[in-house]
Amino acid sequence: MVFPLIPDSLFLIQNIVMKKPLLVIGCLVFVIITLSVVRMTLVNNLSTTGTELVDIQNKIGQYKKQNELLKEQYLQAASYTHISAKAKRMGFGPAKSQLNLTTPLPLALR
Amino acid sequence: MYQGQEYQKALDTFDTLDTFDTLILMTWRYRFTLLFFLLLFGLIISRLFYWQIVRAQELASLGQAQSDRQITLTAKRGEIKTSDEYTIAANKLAYLVFANPKEVKDKEKQADELEKLLDLKSATISALLSRDKFWIPLKTHVESDVKEKIEAKKFPGVGFQEQTLRLYPEASMAANMLGFVGKDEEGRDKGYFGLEGFYDRQLRGKDGLAIVVHDASGQPILANMSDSTIKVDGRDLLLHIDRRIQFMLDAELKRGIAAYGAAGGTAAVMDPKTGGILAMSSFPTYDPRHYQDYSEQLYKNPFISFAYEPGSTFKPLIMSSALDSGLVKPDTPCAICAGPVEIGEYEIRTWNNKYTANETMTDVIIHSDNTGMVFAGRLLGLDKMLTYLQKFGIGEATGIDLQGEVYPSLREKESWYPIDLATATFGQGITMTPMQLLTAFSAIANDGKRMEPHIVSKVQTADGNTIDIAPKMLSKPISSKTAKVMTEMMVKAVDEGEAKWAKPKGYRIAGKTGTAQIPVAGHYDPNKTIASFIGFAPADDPKFLMLVVIDRPTSSIYGSETAAPLFFNVARNILTYYSIPPTEPTGE
Repeated sequence: MVFPLIPDSLFLIQNIVMKKPLLVIGCLVFVIITLSVVRMTLVNNLSTTGTELVDIQNKIGQYKKQNELLKEQYLQAASYTHISAKAKRMGFGPAKSQLNLTTPLPLALR
Repeated sequence: MYQGQEYQKALDTFDTLDTFDTLILMTWRYRFTLLFFLLLFGLIISRLFYWQIVRAQELASLGQAQSDRQITLTAKRGEIKTSDEYTIAANKLAYLVFANPKEVKDKEKQADELEKLLDLKSATISALLSRDKFWIPLKTHVESDVKEKIEAKKFPGVGFQEQTLRLYPEASMAANMLGFVGKDEEGRDKGYFGLEGFYDRQLRGKDGLAIVVHDASGQPILANMSDSTIKVDGRDLLLHIDRRIQFMLDAELKRGIAAYGAAGGTAAVMDPKTGGILAMSSFPTYDPRHYQDYSEQLYKNPFISFAYEPGSTFKPLIMSSALDSGLVKPDTPCAICAGPVEIGEYEIRTWNNKYTANETMTDVIIHSDNTGMVFAGRLLGLDKMLTYLQKFGIGEATGIDLQGEVYPSLREKESWYPIDLATATFGQGITMTPMQLLTAFSAIANDGKRMEPHIVSKVQTADGNTIDIAPKMLSKPISSKTAKVMTEMMVKAVDEGEAKWAKPKGYRIAGKTGTAQIPVAGHYDPNKTIASFIGFAPADDPKFLMLVVIDRPTSSIYGSETAAPLFFNVARNILTYYSIPPTEPTGE
């Protein structure tokens, strides 16, 4: 007498139970690894962006400071107080006389 | 395939009591595990509920505090520029030097080294470094070059914090007009006096706030930078002030005050057609960057806050009122000028005690005759005189855009006595500021139209827009014809008056001297005067109107010998600067 149903079903169930988790686990591991790689890449990029941002901000700050200092030097140098004092040191003085042309210059009309 | 005995064996393995027990045991384990996990999840869910719902707000704030940083975006204070767009008040970068005394090991040595760099005494620095604190400010407003020198020394525990300072590249030039920037109750920058005070809200702008999110290593994350309130930088002011005229006026006034041994002086130049102030100067003055080193009395601008009796410079206003009313003409003879005029117990005399019977109104102005002015005043009467003075703006604010303007009011009509009317006609017993007098004279120089004085011509917003401040006519106290007649009388006053020696040759300049006595404890000081000169040029098409006031000159008490030459020196320079040639033969 042959009763193949029960043992065959049992092995079939065993096979399914044994093989499917492997597939699911395999998929999960793949997803985890993929997401980890993506996350690492993103985190890496973000952390680099922050550093670059700090660098850019520092550079902007430096240029602004340089600009402020140059502007300050220009304003000091262009002030009449400074120019007048420098001119005096160089021996210049206010004009004592001036020439005014009160009548039109003679023109050769013909 | 199982057959026979094998099949029976297989059945035996399943169909036994042990197997049944095993199944029951497994069910119990499953249930236990299920219960365990349920409890575990329950715990987790309850904990999450506690964190996410019960303490959500508190934890969110804590998290934000760890990752977010709120920074104030300080608005840049607006700049002040002269008419040539030169920045006369700018912003300058400076530093606060601080120290953490806990990090400084050899305090004495460090104090000695910082002494020269910070210009502080070593003992002071040493005392500061000895304090049991983590943060001590050593010195504020340190210049960039000093900061670099300190940085190079790499002092342990010494740091810097950026500050903004107001920079006035022309130092004390026009300091009274500019004002200065100090601090308010909350330690923020605030403008005081002059333009800095009047336009403080425009110049200050509006600070912004930004929330910067940081990552675990403290680096900012770009994506969250947009979470900020808008910062609005202060507006720039473009002035009517002509830097060249301002420089000339400053230099000449300073020289004049020293030469005449005066206590001080003030002067301003106006474009009578627009009311734009081209220059304004006062001495003694102060350096707005180091305002705290000077007396508070110097902060006030005398040209707008010094009320004085103008003396003879006031006469053209009364004379033009009488002319405009049709009560006198330039050739009207003075019926009371043969000698001193008696009013009750008082006697009105001329400045040199010389009298000319029947002199004309023009001569009254030329010789600055007090009795002739009393004659014109009597014809005018109190009612008309007060009406004209009000039209000339006497007794009210001129509306100049400077902080600190005062305006002595005119007395009520009922409190005027005949002697008050008489003395007012020659500018005594009536007070006003130099700015009020200058504005009133703009009517004579500008076809009868009195203009509102203005320092600022344009306001430039941070986004590049420009707001023009248009000239504004305040009143028309006299007709165009009266203004021309009065101008002619003032030209003669310059050409034939006491100050004719100082006048630049070849130019038609209208002007009037003034020597006002100073009231002291109910009487006038006989030795101390306020000497002044007001005038405009060229008389037929005025490009500038100028008032010079010298306070208590000692070399000579008269305006014709102090304020007038100073006026003419500046006028000569301005005429040359404007390239205006002489219109009359110079005789050279």
